[in-house]
Amino acid sequence: MKTRISPNNILRFTRRQFLFSLAGGVSLAGFPRLSGALPGPLYPFEIVPPEVSGIRWAHSSGKSPEHYLPETTGAGCAFLDYDNDGWMDIYFVNSGKCDFFDPSPPLRNALYRNNRDGTFTDVTEKAGVAGGGYGQGVAVGDYDGDGFPDLYVTQYGRNILYHNNGDGTFTDVTDKAGVGAPGWSSSAVWFDYDNDGKLDLFVCQFVEFSKDKNKDCRVGEDAKRGYCIPHVYRPTASWLFRNNGDGTFTDVSKACGIAAHLGKAWGVVATDINNDGLMDLFVANDTVANFLFENRGSGKFEEIGEPAGVAYSAEGRPRSGMGVDSADYDQDGWMDLFVANVDREMYSLYRNNHDDSFEDAAGATGIGGATRLMSGWGLKFFDFDNDGDLDLFLANGNPDDLIEQIHSQVKYQEPPLLFRGNGKTFRNISEQSGPIFSQPLSARGMAIGDFNNDGGVDVLISVNNGAPILLRNNVGAQNHWLGIKLFGRKSNPDAVGARVTYQAQDLKRSRMKVGGGSYLSDHDPRLVLGVGKRTKIDWLEVKWPLPGGTTERFTDLPLDRYITIVEGQGKWK
Amino acid sequence: MTTPAFSFMSNNRCFSLGCTLLVLVSFASLAQTPQTKASGGVNPGASAQHAMDLAKAGRCGEAVPLLKKAIPQSSDKDFRRSAGLAGVRCAMVKNQFDAADDFLRMLNREFPNDPEVLYASIHTYSDLATHASQQLATRAPNSAQAHELNAEALEVQGKWEQASKEYQKVLQQNPQLPGIHFRVGRLLLSEPNPPADAAEQAKKEFQRELEIDPSNAGAEYVLGELAREAQQWDEAVKHFTRAAKLDSSFGDAYLGLGVALVSTKKFSEAVPPLEIAVKLEPENPAAHYNLAIAYTRTGRKQEGDREFAIHREMVQKTPPAQGEAQPQGQPATTPQ
Repeated sequence: MKTRISPNNILRFTRRQFLFSLAGGVSLAGFPRLSGALPGPLYPFEIVPPEVSGIRWAHSSGKSPEHYLPETTGAGCAFLDYDNDGWMDIYFVNSGKCDFFDPSPPLRNALYRNNRDGTFTDVTEKAGVAGGGYGQGVAVGDYDGDGFPDLYVTQYGRNILYHNNGDGTFTDVTDKAGVGAPGWSSSAVWFDYDNDGKLDLFVCQFVEFSKDKNKDCRVGEDAKRGYCIPHVYRPTASWLFRNNGDGTFTDVSKACGIAAHLGKAWGVVATDINNDGLMDLFVANDTVANFLFENRGSGKFEEIGEPAGVAYSAEGRPRSGMGVDSADYDQDGWMDLFVANVDREMYSLYRNNHDDSFEDAAGATGIGGATRLMSGWGLKFFDFDNDGDLDLFLANGNPDDLIEQIHSQVKYQEPPLLFRGNGKTFRNISEQSGPIFSQPLSARGMAIGDFNNDGGVDVLISVNNGAPILLRNNVGAQNHWLGIKLFGRKSNPDAVGARVTYQAQDLKRSRMKVGGGSYLSDHDPRLVLGVGKRTKIDWLEVKWPLPGGTTERFTDLPLDRYITIVEGQGKWK
Repeated sequence: MTTPAFSFMSNNRCFSLGCTLLVLVSFASLAQTPQTKASGGVNPGASAQHAMDLAKAGRCGEAVPLLKKAIPQSSDKDFRRSAGLAGVRCAMVKNQFDAADDFLRMLNREFPNDPEVLYASIHTYSDLATHASQQLATRAPNSAQAHELNAEALEVQGKWEQASKEYQKVLQQNPQLPGIHFRVGRLLLSEPNPPADAAEQAKKEFQRELEIDPSNAGAEYVLGELAREAQQWDEAVKHFTRAAKLDSSFGDAYLGLGVALVSTKKFSEAVPPLEIAVKLEPENPAAHYNLAIAYTRTGRKQEGDREFAIHREMVQKTPPAQGEAQPQGQPATTPQ
């Protein structure tokens, strides 16, 4: 057979070759330094060192020569106010004993009580929340509506539900509740899927894995043993537990339609993509299509990831989805989605088209280019500078400790990224936002919370096989703000799904309280509403989630402090 | 006049090794050949046997013409195969390249799935290519073509800077030579540590290429991809459209056009190019995926579901990216 020779077919790049060359060939250098993007001389985020915070705990993954995959995936963290004193406490998950790891001395999770002075005290033992298994993530929710947040700890093995006794202690009620969810769980989220006013529980399952099923994966010319890509493990179904209201839960994974879809789930966020008052779930899967479970009511979900355009990349390739979040970043009244992927895949910012479909705006916003070589886990939309626009914080780190031998452009440890929003798009301001944004990390979990109650939302990053990082927000308090804690009476206690709209002179903004988001982590339940330099909030409306569903309007609101709004009381305090 | 050191000649050992392997293969084949096999067809007869004996004895000069004559006269498949392989081996030993090509054509026509035939083909064509490159290096060492070939070899070896210099030498000799600016542009995009303005530089090279050769569909295509990366959708559509017009068999150009139109929500307009892309590249999951999206967003749900199903099936069969850690002793596929 003769080869047809012409410049066209000799020199033609196939699309895939071209994309591959770009993936290896375009560095982050294309993003010039931005100057004067931030007010004042302070960096927006500053590391609070352990000697100041008192947080001495560190994560241990038990890295072994066998390279068990869970070693590279954990673990999570959370801000929560476990003692209801109005100050955010902190919970860390560790990765302890399991079938492939038996650490001596045993490893434990950690609960740190906020001392209200910028320091924390380890109260794990007294609280009884040490965990002990190979922990992965944590989800916080007041499932019994007693006003105290409960803890759900996901693990490789069997999960734990800690009921908050309201006296500084917790009780392991997993067996009674029936939410052990054996297997390899990752992120979890509390939300009310059936609008009965009680928090239900969705639990991501990753893959079918055990010590016996661990595969021997090799890489490079010298066949070094490395972590297998999840492609080689079988997918599995995630769990949905319906809250029976009596301290027990019913597994409705099959009945609701979710179990029919086998995935490799890492991250989940509960949101409402079509404004029908029913909470939907966006689930990030690794090496298989992402899921968008649209809540059809009557306890049923329909998976619409493919037609919605959020299952794959623009080239139709499944990516390695990890962290997720949802917010109306462009203030058009519809919830958008975000998913972080692995290196050479770019992260995706899915803008809602208002018709059950999305378009990926990562390229147009600069997020695509900035994340081309990065791997993202914990992430969250929030307004770090309280100017009224949602910003975006991304915690990164490649899962593969041999990655630098495979791809010279990709780093194993990577710095976080900070994007500043303007209500329409984003701008990468990482370079001038402080040393943390040039510090390489193996970041995994990431939670937001205002631990010093100054209105600047702080950030907590959990690090794989290392010490966590607490970042104090230095700039949020330079603008005016109002923090609100919502408590549902008829609606679910945590008011997940509530919409808060506020007007401050020329600024009108709307925010939804989503369930979960990020990766293996949970957040300060309070919403901080920034108003910039404006000196008054004219009004604020809370549209409570169903079954409440009412809208309450408030005026004469204070600034620069936190308030609590209880559903149906018509007033704040 | 000095002869440049050519990177494409650096693996001469392969040439010798290839011949050695070919000889070994051929002798192994001869050893397995029935010496006299009566069959229902024409008996190769004494001259055929004689030809095989000569080849086996390494008397290739005498064997080649006899083998050429004997093969058409025999209907014995085993004989034709063995004689063909012996003919290839002997013809290459005697530098009778036309004869080698004739033997290979016969073998590939009659035994298209025979591993030994395919193996012999690889080595023979590889040796022919090496031979031709040696001819170029010795007969026209300073020609633009010699520099071009050298640059290509350096590029393959990842020696970006040296390759770039070689391309510049080509352009110094012949600034209007088609294809060179394209290659320089491609080089810029392929470098592991590119300058910050690599994409912009590459774009200029592709534009220069089109000034020299307006029919270069590849250059139009890459300009389309660069525009797509930069979210310059109108530009992307323009370049992909031209690429598809220049080469109507260019499936990736139709796909690029379709993807650009999908990205700008012009779903109806995206359907025709994506339908062509699917026809031209039925194994490309991206084409099916984007066509599924375009169908779905234009209300053609049934057709969309069909394309999604095809895409899903393809994705499940797609192996992971090369270079990632793979399990020992088993192919990396999605467990079913």
